[in-house]
Amino acid sequence: MSRALTAWSAFAMIMRRDLHVYLSYRTRLVSQVLTAIFSLTLFYYVSRLVRLSEFRSPAGYFSFVVIGIALVSVMYSCFLVPELVRQELVAGTFDRLLLSPFGAVRSVVAMTLFPLVLSFALAAITIGLGCAIFGMRLHWSTVPVAIPVMALALLAFLPLGLLFAALAIVVKQGAVGTSWVIAAMALTSGVYFPLAVLPQWMQTIGGLQPFTPATSVLRHLLVDSPIGGSVSSALLKLVGFAVVLLPASIALLSAAIRVGQRRGTIIEY
Amino acid sequence: MSANLSDAVVELPPSRPHDPIAAPSRSASAIEQAGSEEACPLALRGVAKRWRRDLPLVLDGLDLTLQPRSKTWIGGRNGVGKTTLLRIAAGLIDTEAGRVEVWGVSARENRARYQQLVSFLPAGDRGLYARLTVRRQLDFSARLALLERSHRRRAIEQALDEFDLRELADHRVDRMSMGQRQRLRLAMTFLPEPEIVLLDEPLTSLDGEGAAILERSIERLIARDGALLWCSPSGEHLEMSFDRRWRIERGRLEPA
Repeated sequence: MSRALTAWSAFAMIMRRDLHVYLSYRTRLVSQVLTAIFSLTLFYYVSRLVRLSEFRSPAGYFSFVVIGIALVSVMYSCFLVPELVRQELVAGTFDRLLLSPFGAVRSVVAMTLFPLVLSFALAAITIGLGCAIFGMRLHWSTVPVAIPVMALALLAFLPLGLLFAALAIVVKQGAVGTSWVIAAMALTSGVYFPLAVLPQWMQTIGGLQPFTPATSVLRHLLVDSPIGGSVSSALLKLVGFAVVLLPASIALLSAAIRVGQRRGTIIEY
Repeated sequence: MSANLSDAVVELPPSRPHDPIAAPSRSASAIEQAGSEEACPLALRGVAKRWRRDLPLVLDGLDLTLQPRSKTWIGGRNGVGKTTLLRIAAGLIDTEAGRVEVWGVSARENRARYQQLVSFLPAGDRGLYARLTVRRQLDFSARLALLERSHRRRAIEQALDEFDLRELADHRVDRMSMGQRQRLRLAMTFLPEPEIVLLDEPLTSLDGEGAAILERSIERLIARDGALLWCSPSGEHLEMSFDRRWRIERGRLEPA
């Protein structure tokens, strides 16, 4: 019991460390909120131009896309983790994590959580601003249900951060191909437009990543967008991604560290 | 002439009274866990390491054993393998051949236990979070060391006092001098009260007062049956008395 408590204490400390570092940059939150307002303004006026049979009015597209851009920030946060790992390697703090009884693998998993939780908070702020400034309407009766779904989505997204963190440990770069991956995921997950407008092969690719079911089910719960398929099948997909990818990504991260130690490249940056 | 294992075993200095502040020695329990009375604080046996296949071995069958209450210094030219030796002993990188154990525990077999027994101060000024305060940095180290809550608080307060960091407790690291940062790095190294302390050029940026603080910390380590391994290119300027002095030559240890 006490061993579990001390491990939890170390896990929580890494999240607290990231929070303290985040708060030490006093303008960062303001800057992120302003960015969200600019995005909302841009898409508010774009929505005035959208005439698609899927949306009954420009407001319908605006609600649709606000949930999408909120989830894009979550997507970005997953790919922030490899850059954070690279910073630890450069600063020499990764050695401290590796040489601690808590260990590097658990530390990197803990490092993944703060950016993800923060991005979900920023997503909530973005949606709140969409409602407050641009009159977006939420489907309040199902909003509480969206919270556990977000937690499930977090577990489904977390492996992506861990996979790219493993890559960063091997190649010593934080952003190898991440912009391409983000663009491809955003394109095929229906963030900016309905999946139905995409060719079938792109829709198939979209089904292979967790952002697609997360986006569609959260949209359904938050703004009552129609969902392709059922809510339960989307949730099952998220559970599947978490159950399959989480242990696999942890195993790969562990292997990347072991290889680095064997070759001696773990000290390089 | 290279040193073999028996050459490198140091004689035990006379036993000293335990520091009343220090935690009780963990040596007995560690020996029990290792299941061998022959186990010693740190044993490197036949350690070999090369960085690339086309390069010669940096360490070539190196043997080194530290005993409880011992202080060992290893010197040698730049690039001769001192830091590589410390990194291997710390569990940071693997050997190509040979075995490294602390009280019979190897990092490969029980990493968490191994890291509880060994603490490593790398050379330079890296390993700190620039935007965290001294107290948070120490708290971070203590939690990663998996110290129990009650022990953690005491260890942090003790480290603040012993390394003269009390006045800097709420200062951010990026606003501190290099010498103050080095005192913090040392505090983080000694905070979990490890059995083995590995120091790579620990006097970097330290003034006379800082060096005296380090010396007192080493004495406390020795008093609780710990062992010290100190690496630096040249040991002539060191005022501290070491039980053994070695020099790395052609990948092995020779008496200095």
